[in-house]
Amino acid sequence: MNLTHPYEDITTVYYALAAVLLPLFAFLVNVCLPGKRNKISGWVSTLAILISTVLSVLVFAGIWNREPLHVQTLWFTIGATKLYAGILLNNLSALMLLLVSLVALPVHIYSTAYMGHDENYKRYFSYLSFFCFSMLALVVVDNMFLFYAFWELVGFSSYLLIGFWFTKSKAVQANKKAFIMNRIGDVGLLVAIIILFTYYHTADIVQLFGDNAAVKATQISALWQSIACVGIFLGVAAKSAQFPLHTWLPDAMEGPTSVSALIHAATMVAAGVFLLGRVYPMFNSAELDILAIIGCFTAFMAATIALTQNDLKRILAYSTISQLGFMIMAMGIGAYASSLFHLATHAFFKCLLFLIAGIVIHQMQHIKDDNNLDIDPQDIQHMGGLRKKLPVTFIAAVIGSLALIGIPLTSGYLSKDGILVQAFEWSDSKSWVYRLVPIFALLAGLLTAFYIARLIVKVFFGELRLLKHHPHLKIHLGDGGWQYRIPLILLAICCFFPLFSINPVIYEQSWIVGGLKQNIILDRLDIYHTIIPVGATILNVFVMYFAYNMYVKRKTFAFPQTGFLYNLSYHEWYIDKFYNTVIVKPIMALSKTASWFDKYVIDGFINLLKNTVLILSKIAAFIDKYIIDGLLHLLTAIVQQIGNFARNFQSGKIQYYLFSMLVIVLALFIYFLF
Amino acid sequence: MLTLLIFIPILFAFIIVVLPSSARASFKYITLLATLVQLCISVWLYLNFKTGAGFSGIDHESQFQFVQKIPWIHLNLGGLGTMQADYFVGIDGISIGLLVMTSLVMVIAALSSWEIKSNLKGFFALFLLLDMALIGVFCSLDFFLFYIFYELMLLPLYFLIGMWGGARREYAAIKFFLYTLFGSVFMLLVMIGLYLSVKDPATGNHTFNMVQMMNPANYEIGSVFSTLSHQTIFGFPARTVGFVVLFIAFAIKVPVVPLHTWLPDAHVEAPTPVSIILAGILLKIGGYGIIRICLGIFPEVASSGAWWLGLLGIISILYGAFNALAQKDFKRIIAYSSVSQMGFVLLGIASQTAEGISGAVMQMVSHGFLATMLFFLVGVVYNRVHNREIYNFRGLGTLMPKYTVFIMIAFFASLGLPGFSAFIAEAFSLAGAFKSSSVNGLLPQWMAVFGAIGILFSACYFLWTLQRMFFGSVSLKGGEIWKTALVDLSTREIIALVPLALVVLAIGIMPSLVFSKINDSVLELVNFTKNIIH
Repeated sequence: MNLTHPYEDITTVYYALAAVLLPLFAFLVNVCLPGKRNKISGWVSTLAILISTVLSVLVFAGIWNREPLHVQTLWFTIGATKLYAGILLNNLSALMLLLVSLVALPVHIYSTAYMGHDENYKRYFSYLSFFCFSMLALVVVDNMFLFYAFWELVGFSSYLLIGFWFTKSKAVQANKKAFIMNRIGDVGLLVAIIILFTYYHTADIVQLFGDNAAVKATQISALWQSIACVGIFLGVAAKSAQFPLHTWLPDAMEGPTSVSALIHAATMVAAGVFLLGRVYPMFNSAELDILAIIGCFTAFMAATIALTQNDLKRILAYSTISQLGFMIMAMGIGAYASSLFHLATHAFFKCLLFLIAGIVIHQMQHIKDDNNLDIDPQDIQHMGGLRKKLPVTFIAAVIGSLALIGIPLTSGYLSKDGILVQAFEWSDSKSWVYRLVPIFALLAGLLTAFYIARLIVKVFFGELRLLKHHPHLKIHLGDGGWQYRIPLILLAICCFFPLFSINPVIYEQSWIVGGLKQNIILDRLDIYHTIIPVGATILNVFVMYFAYNMYVKRKTFAFPQTGFLYNLSYHEWYIDKFYNTVIVKPIMALSKTASWFDKYVIDGFINLLKNTVLILSKIAAFIDKYIIDGLLHLLTAIVQQIGNFARNFQSGKIQYYLFSMLVIVLALFIYFLF
Repeated sequence: MLTLLIFIPILFAFIIVVLPSSARASFKYITLLATLVQLCISVWLYLNFKTGAGFSGIDHESQFQFVQKIPWIHLNLGGLGTMQADYFVGIDGISIGLLVMTSLVMVIAALSSWEIKSNLKGFFALFLLLDMALIGVFCSLDFFLFYIFYELMLLPLYFLIGMWGGARREYAAIKFFLYTLFGSVFMLLVMIGLYLSVKDPATGNHTFNMVQMMNPANYEIGSVFSTLSHQTIFGFPARTVGFVVLFIAFAIKVPVVPLHTWLPDAHVEAPTPVSIILAGILLKIGGYGIIRICLGIFPEVASSGAWWLGLLGIISILYGAFNALAQKDFKRIIAYSSVSQMGFVLLGIASQTAEGISGAVMQMVSHGFLATMLFFLVGVVYNRVHNREIYNFRGLGTLMPKYTVFIMIAFFASLGLPGFSAFIAEAFSLAGAFKSSSVNGLLPQWMAVFGAIGILFSACYFLWTLQRMFFGSVSLKGGEIWKTALVDLSTREIIALVPLALVVLAIGIMPSLVFSKINDSVLELVNFTKNIIH
């Protein structure tokens, strides 16, 4: 091992290594366990992640705001280039390590109950542990090639878990789509890595993007620099579900809800933001502006779609896309620390909301099964009034939603308003067009307040709408056992400000923001720091009240369910349809053409050659048989005829001999005469 | 040792031929034993293979390892001098990996020969003959010997496809035979041309020694292929013609689009063990030949034509992938995926960078294992129900869970999931291709970008196949009969698949297993081509 800081305590590195490898170990143990529903597997995985969490806390305590640790060992040599594998622990990776294991732990506990009745219980926990391993490894590796490797492995485990119920054809389509869209991003990332590797002769993250960042020190051709950035962006967009590669995430909700909570809300989808955090020095200001615009657009678009969806999980999925858009936008405007701060807070409250959705869906499923109904248990139009039946869930849901909206005293308020404030500050120094970015972000925030209020109201308030059509339902619902409650309570506590900051209103005093400060600091405009949070909060409260009135009291008007805007939102901006016609179909047509070309043109040419040779050989055979052999036969025939002719003279009759003598003598006489 | 390795199969083949037909049940075990012995020897070679600057091989005869050089044919031709062909075998970094891969693949092929039911004596005798020829090709350093082994491969393959194959076996066998023969006939002419141009500096005789062919100083002034004399054939520079002819011969084997159409037919019609050998080993002979002979003997032509080689590589990658996407036969998908994946080999070689060539060799080794695994797996389904049409199957994951696990491993390893060998291979082929423009200026950078797109499409066709055949609810065309026929993997099948899966995983995690052995040779090759050109 080659320690860059030999004086540092290496135990921290071992802790980190153990934290990463324990889930892998759990995965291997689970694979070897007998039986499909072996309950031990759940405990093996949970225990592993529990120890990982404890170790992560130790690592975090040892790293946060101290000297980063970087340990590496030779992985392999290719040609003259040596590639190292190692662990890089700095503020960013220590934070992510802690965050991932902290979110994964409640999800594991929850899953032991949530998946308890599934036939493939063991397989579920094997996959889950494998995911945790890849994700934890992703955040600590020090090398772009390894980063890519784990980047793709998290995508792979996500593929496995989305398609966990592989007999459902929708789930299988969804996981294929997820993997292929992520592959687009992977290709982009790979190209970017290759470009960096070629121009800087290293894949080491510290050398590339560290304090003396190679990407800043030497300039490469502008074209390839932009292509590398586009590649990285594709990777980010695919993993973090940003426009135009976001459409896999809503479909990914086909997986078990606990998986959606961990992978498709809290951790894996945040990996794109984390990647941006790792390679941040690479981007120049124009590229960052584009990033901000795309992030803002995604945040806005996804929020509008979430307004009209009826599938509980789909709403949350679009909400996740929207929040990720906020993070990307924050990266683009230079609010590096706020972006990662929002990543951390979002992980907790979105995970909480998904776990709640899981409980609600389970309860609806019970109603469906008990009464043999033909309903979609995820459709919020059937729900209502669940707050009395599921009190703990309800309270947790309200806390999670308030955090998502960003009401003061919650963690979401600190992180989201920080982004908004900085967005306004950022746009100040630019032309008026850029002002649209913070304005749309603000709008997206208000839409968030609306759709999540709509969700909560429709699910938990009023009366159970199923009863309208089926008045005699047998219903016995409950929050469920401690495996459900404890994760909810834990996560709900994490939605409040004290975990992140002592001061509940000023985001800059949060320790995360303090620990991740980048050199780029926007001019602080005090006025924004008061007006925007206050204004946003007032507007948010108003919007929530409006939604409450609309859906519970039915006082105000209902939105018309026709019209262009409704359709645009309900059909998710027609993006999937567009991709299907513009990309998928032409590619299939192209592949058909290629196959046709292969069969008829190339093979046709070969067959033509074959036929030509065959015809030539037939001609040769013809010549052989009729011309050459014919000549021979002719020759023999002539000889034969001559022979026959001559034989006539040898008949043995004296008269013929005398006659022929006479003829010859006569002939000679005539010849000499003339 | 190499001699032992080469001729062990023929020894066992002799035993099989001598044994009476009543002992036919033992033939498969004899064959398996032969391949196992061979595997042990090649593993021993691998472990004792020395690395370091002094053992890089390529153009230094003394740096080859396990060399055996015995005068073989010495014909005194009077005024024309002495015809000299040696029995000259030896290995360097380029061949060692392929040699081990070949030995392991032959064991698997032997294990999958259990399905052969008719005319066992003929099958296993030909199988072992083929085995000998394949190993021989990778070991020969004398062009004449190489050519003999090279041609010797065709004969058993022709019969193995033509007699034990599927419905259209004769068509496929003839197509395969003519394709490859077309390449090798012209190769013979170039070989003779080279022989007449090169003189052994020690004896002064003409020679078939490939290592000496690499040194421009050994060419006789004024001879056809001399670098200095600039001879022409039909108005084209002679060395270019020589390169192109050899390249076509090997490109047919690789196969490079548009010379690939024998492959889908041959694969589809061949019985499983022969498909395994075709995809696992035969294709690698093409790549190996391009590196050792095309690049080694005609480096300056390879450099000036690198752009075209790279382009052909890209076309193979993308065209193969598109074709795979359109296929409806499970085996044809795998066949076209081979075309696509071997495109990376050509791209890597064309770059002539250390990364590119290492990546190409790695891809050959990795694809050897993966193609074996894939064709073995296709054979599993085909043996049970004699059908391979994708749309006739659904939900195999429920019926055959163990089988599906191996399918997933093979598919994901093939589509370049990190942790498996193909990822390292493809990533570094592409890295080499990209680096080329800044190191030696041979390939433009966009080629690497296009190659990377091939990785995307490989995910498409593999995942689509998974979705269609293995997931979803069970529905089979053959109904209940198929359902009972489609039993999960047997112990023999698992024994065959596990080592392959472990090997691709091991190489993927520790690429140094391959790279440490090949590095010196690759660097030497890169240096050698660079020095020749400048």
